[in-house]
Amino acid sequence: MLRRLGVGLVLGMAATLLVVLFRFKLRHDLAAAVLGAAFWIKFAYGFAIAGLGLWMVERQSRAGADSRAPGWLLAVPIALLAMVAAMQLSAPQADWRALMMGHTARVCSMLIVLLSLPIFAGVFWAMRSLAPTRLTLAGACAGLLSGAASATLYGLHCPEVAAPFILVWYSLGILLATGLGAIVGRWALRW
Amino acid sequence: MIAAEPQYRDWMVAALAGDAHAYRRLLAALTGHLRAYYARRVGTATAEDLVQETLIAIHSRRATYDPGLPLTAWVYGIARYKLIDEFRRERRRASVSLEDAGELFAADESEALAARRDVEKLLHRLPEAKRNLVRAVKLDGASIAEVAAQTGLSETAVKVGVHRAVKSLGEELGADRAD
Repeated sequence: MLRRLGVGLVLGMAATLLVVLFRFKLRHDLAAAVLGAAFWIKFAYGFAIAGLGLWMVERQSRAGADSRAPGWLLAVPIALLAMVAAMQLSAPQADWRALMMGHTARVCSMLIVLLSLPIFAGVFWAMRSLAPTRLTLAGACAGLLSGAASATLYGLHCPEVAAPFILVWYSLGILLATGLGAIVGRWALRW
Repeated sequence: MIAAEPQYRDWMVAALAGDAHAYRRLLAALTGHLRAYYARRVGTATAEDLVQETLIAIHSRRATYDPGLPLTAWVYGIARYKLIDEFRRERRRASVSLEDAGELFAADESEALAARRDVEKLLHRLPEAKRNLVRAVKLDGASIAEVAAQTGLSETAVKVGVHRAVKSLGEELGADRAD
């Protein structure tokens, strides 16, 4: 059963990756960026939330499931990132505005949601042949997974490095995707 | 904790491993529960449709059952989901409360108990050996081969024995009615 979810997720992420590569382009300083901590913090944040999202989707796809992957585990990556953000904000002469807004604040969240759409498609496709019985919740979990996976891939393009920025705008993008999944899930996941 | 849970779970696990016989027995048992559950909530014709739909859903999504979790909860999840779907179709504003799986698996019991009592009374008109044969084949759903192996009789002997026993019961009942 997990395999079907995996296939849907991978296909969706592949499509998103293609869009990132060809429409948005990898960040030009990627080779240098992967040597820095900021890149991996971004990656780990998206990856951790996506992992939790996948676990929750898997649970929700089984009829009669009590949500056994407690949502509160999400607090862990968020808290860790918040700690890094706090450190950066409290550094002497920290430019709060720059740290929070970066250059792309206005587009970042929307791009994450946009790029999550192919992943949504893949995950929903898989879930429709499974047995989710609480559709809004299942949709929300699918949204969480899609948003976080999208954010992870978006990091290949996004030039921002400040933890406060990531904490605010990446999280917002993931949150919006979660809400989108909840709304759409009600009818899209019917079987 | 539902009484039948361990048995049903064992059957399901066996069925998922390819045991067609266990699967048949499980579906037969579930059909009874489902029929009673739906019959109390929708009209008879709709109930029958829902029973079939639910069985099909159980079959097509059987891979979503996690053997580490209760089977009854899984079945109940599907049954409730199908019921809500039906209400949505009928545009009924009824809400289906989050009863637990006991609602589905208890509903059958009073009817089943009464039926079982009647059947036992009937079976007691047969001599013991015949009675056990009929019970095994007709009620417990064991295959002819299984019963033959257990009793040491040949398969033909089992078949003929059950057939004759049921026939004689039928004749007795006919005679009773004629009185």
